[in-house]
Amino acid sequence: MHRRDDDPLPEIQRWGAVVWPSFFAAGVATMFFFAMFDPAELSRIAWIGVEVDRQWGYTIGFFLFWVCTFSASLFTSLLLRGRR
Amino acid sequence: MTRLAPVAAVAADGDLYRAAPKIYPREQDGRFQRLRHTAVVVLLGLYYVMPWLTWNGRQAVLFDLPARRFYILGLTFWPQDFFYLTWLLILAGLSLFFFTALAGRLWCGYACPQTVWTEVFLWMERWTEGDRNKRMKLDAAPWSAEKLARKGGKQALWITFALWTGFTFVGFFTPIRELGPRVLTFTIGPWETFWTLFYSVATYGNAGYLREQVCKYMCPYARFQGAMFDPNTLVIAYDPARGEPRGSRRRGTDYKAAGLGDCIDCTLCVQVCPTGIDIRDGLQYECIACGACIDACDAVMDKVAYPRGLVRYATEESLAGHASHILRPRVIVYGLLLAAGFGAFGWSVTHRVPLIVDVVRDRNALYRVASDGAIENAYTLKIMNKVDVARSFVIMLEEEREGGEEEEEGEDDTSVTIAGGSPLEVTVQPGEVLAVPVTLRAAAGHIHGRGDVEFIVEAKDEPGVHYEAESRFFGPAR
Repeated sequence: MHRRDDDPLPEIQRWGAVVWPSFFAAGVATMFFFAMFDPAELSRIAWIGVEVDRQWGYTIGFFLFWVCTFSASLFTSLLLRGRR
Repeated sequence: MTRLAPVAAVAADGDLYRAAPKIYPREQDGRFQRLRHTAVVVLLGLYYVMPWLTWNGRQAVLFDLPARRFYILGLTFWPQDFFYLTWLLILAGLSLFFFTALAGRLWCGYACPQTVWTEVFLWMERWTEGDRNKRMKLDAAPWSAEKLARKGGKQALWITFALWTGFTFVGFFTPIRELGPRVLTFTIGPWETFWTLFYSVATYGNAGYLREQVCKYMCPYARFQGAMFDPNTLVIAYDPARGEPRGSRRRGTDYKAAGLGDCIDCTLCVQVCPTGIDIRDGLQYECIACGACIDACDAVMDKVAYPRGLVRYATEESLAGHASHILRPRVIVYGLLLAAGFGAFGWSVTHRVPLIVDVVRDRNALYRVASDGAIENAYTLKIMNKVDVARSFVIMLEEEREGGEEEEEGEDDTSVTIAGGSPLEVTVQPGEVLAVPVTLRAAAGHIHGRGDVEFIVEAKDEPGVHYEAESRFFGPAR
């Protein structure tokens, strides 16, 4: 993201507002999701062709969630900066 | 959403954006700072020591994600206990409401990891770079051997501490006593390495550099705390009625006759503030309630022999000269809800039945007619053993338990029974979910339509540990 002159927010605030809530939401989603589904079982029924153990399952799951929430937050932030 | 920047905030060179100036909080001693230090030592002490404690031969607190079980002291939690975590989070939210309504941002001042770790990083900065004035001079000075040594020393301390923090974090998820040697021999696994570094970098960046900016720009609590305040909330406040008009004065003069208030405008309250605000401008969302300004002002008041408390914990009502009600319905209701919530939580955790049973009916057929004309229904019982040792369970039907004696007397077996004899006995390994196929049968002509059956699963060694699960039994229509 490039700062624009009409942007009243400090750059760090914009990034903070994107990174932190998306991180938090991803953490909560990961917790709920993996409390219900065992990543080892998911790996067994998935068509990815590689063995994924639980630790990797949790890690990949968390970052997958984070990519989603981060993209959404980033997009919202871009839409909210107004047009010119 | 358009927000206009106030004209005064625009720098003379016309640049609307300026990097946040670095804040050099001045060190301060006093009641609130001692309280904060105690909180830091206790909370971080818990964090760094807890993974090293053992309980019955295993790590006292271990979130064993690979095995999908959490050990907390004597208790073991399974994914099926997720409900407790949800409950705990709700209670944490309610606690935040309660404490915020009572005395503002106590959380920020004393318990938030961001402020707690920032405080420790500040200590390390002081040990290596000196007090506020020295730090400012050092930053302004050109690079020299001394600056290099001081800055290098600080970085070394920070990085070591951050890495230790990351290591401890991972130690909550993988046995730390095995992790330690593996780190030293460089045989630590990829995800452990990753999370150690991730947490270390986050600690280093947040506590070393971002600091108050996290509170100002990233923390949602700082934004919505206003909704939890009311005029009877205790907040850190400057008493303008007493302090104004502020101004410097010569010792021993009658400042009141000169028309001055108690504030001598020494600006110490501004210098000690970790978020760089002036508390005399009133309550601001940047204030993390650390109380440094109270301590600074009290020390000054002592020095000039004025009464303490020009900056103090006060309510909006009391500052306006009205009576304030600390114990008010809002606080009492929150308090009662909180007490009830924690009470129920404690009771529920200590009275958990370490067994879960789920009955799944065979989806393929409603019923089957056996060669002798009896009606059979098939089920799968999923039995989960939530204790750390293998356990034997007996499976029976509610009807059989109550009517068992009659059947032995040769009564007509009108009721449903477990095919193959009852009770059924199974052994379930710790943490295992065992699927047990069970067939129920009823003699020909006795069951029509739909009826209820209730399975009872009971630990063989402890009948108190039992679980009842309902299902349906189907027969041909009449």
